[in-house]
Amino acid sequence: MLNCAVDIVQGSGQMSDVNQPIGVSSAVTVETLMRLDFTDVVMIPDSESARLFDAVRSCDALNVISPTREGEGIAIAAGLWVGGRKPLVVIQNTGLMEAGDALRGCGIGPHIPLRLMVGWRGYPGAQAGRLPVDSAHPYTEPLLDAWNVPHWHLMTDDDLHTIGLMDDTASASSLPAAVLTGWSFR
Amino acid sequence: MIERLDLLSALAAARTDEIVVMTMTSTLQWPLVSDHELDFDFLAFGMGHASDFGLGLAVARPERRTIVLKGDGGLLMSLGSLVTLAEHGPDNLVVVLLENRAYEMTGGQSLPTRVDFAGLARASGIDGGGVNGSGSVETWNSLDEAADDLPRVLGTPGPHFVVAPVTNSSPLPPVNHTDHAGRVTRLRGALGID
Repeated sequence: MLNCAVDIVQGSGQMSDVNQPIGVSSAVTVETLMRLDFTDVVMIPDSESARLFDAVRSCDALNVISPTREGEGIAIAAGLWVGGRKPLVVIQNTGLMEAGDALRGCGIGPHIPLRLMVGWRGYPGAQAGRLPVDSAHPYTEPLLDAWNVPHWHLMTDDDLHTIGLMDDTASASSLPAAVLTGWSFR
Repeated sequence: MIERLDLLSALAAARTDEIVVMTMTSTLQWPLVSDHELDFDFLAFGMGHASDFGLGLAVARPERRTIVLKGDGGLLMSLGSLVTLAEHGPDNLVVVLLENRAYEMTGGQSLPTRVDFAGLARASGIDGGGVNGSGSVETWNSLDEAADDLPRVLGTPGPHFVVAPVTNSSPLPPVNHTDHAGRVTRLRGALGID
């Protein structure tokens, strides 16, 4: 039984071509995190993750830490994990780029299985063919590939199982893994 | 100014079951005064992030104190961490800033001369801050001041941020840092975590 009261926010925005609401439900994401025994969310909110931020903050079972920069967040999450907790880091791709040194030092190098949820700024515009494409967009997946960080697309509620795949992979490899969110959380 | 090795010796003598997280030159000198399973010497946090790691560790292990030994050059690389400490710093976290006004590991290049680290910490809200509002900012200007204040920072709710102006006249042992994953495994083992 989940002990987290989160208002379910019904999607009212765009629909994908398979009539699936675009974006992921914040409430169901929080439920997924709790089912997977996450203990902390280290998060710098952005416009796309604002609803998720509200949802995790409303959940007493999740400890939320909001650092000032993403590199800080990576290091805080590493300390949490070394101390026996299971944190999720939620940052935008631009912040991931800022946090590269911390990801190397506090994740990849010491084999700390950081779980990352990375907002993919530029994805909606690129999908719509709008020009110019946000420069953060094309570098996101190549950057994760260069760091050998396995990643999955979390674009609709049908993709919520990817959080579990990411979690299992991080655990099995004791290395960072990520999901990429391309649309605003509902 | 305090001779750094003397300060580290005093800290090691006062320490009981606290986790000690250190980076940069502290990793070279702390092992001269301490051999403890909860020592975590680590050069690879990412620049400036030792106290961020320490904050996470302290949150995860509320049953014991976490002490972070870091330098002023590192703090300049992550000044925002002071604000995070003021907002999220737990009671059981102590950050000792070893202020030598130089990037010692890279050859002793000078830091900006006018910065007031204790002032930055106070302006960030650490004094009276932290999750329970019990944070403090202090400066240890002498070894006697440090010795007098150690029982407070090790025995009262924090987070405590201490600025310790230091100098060093001792030869530094060579840097010998590999097996970062092994260091993590050893600390988790000492904490009883699989």
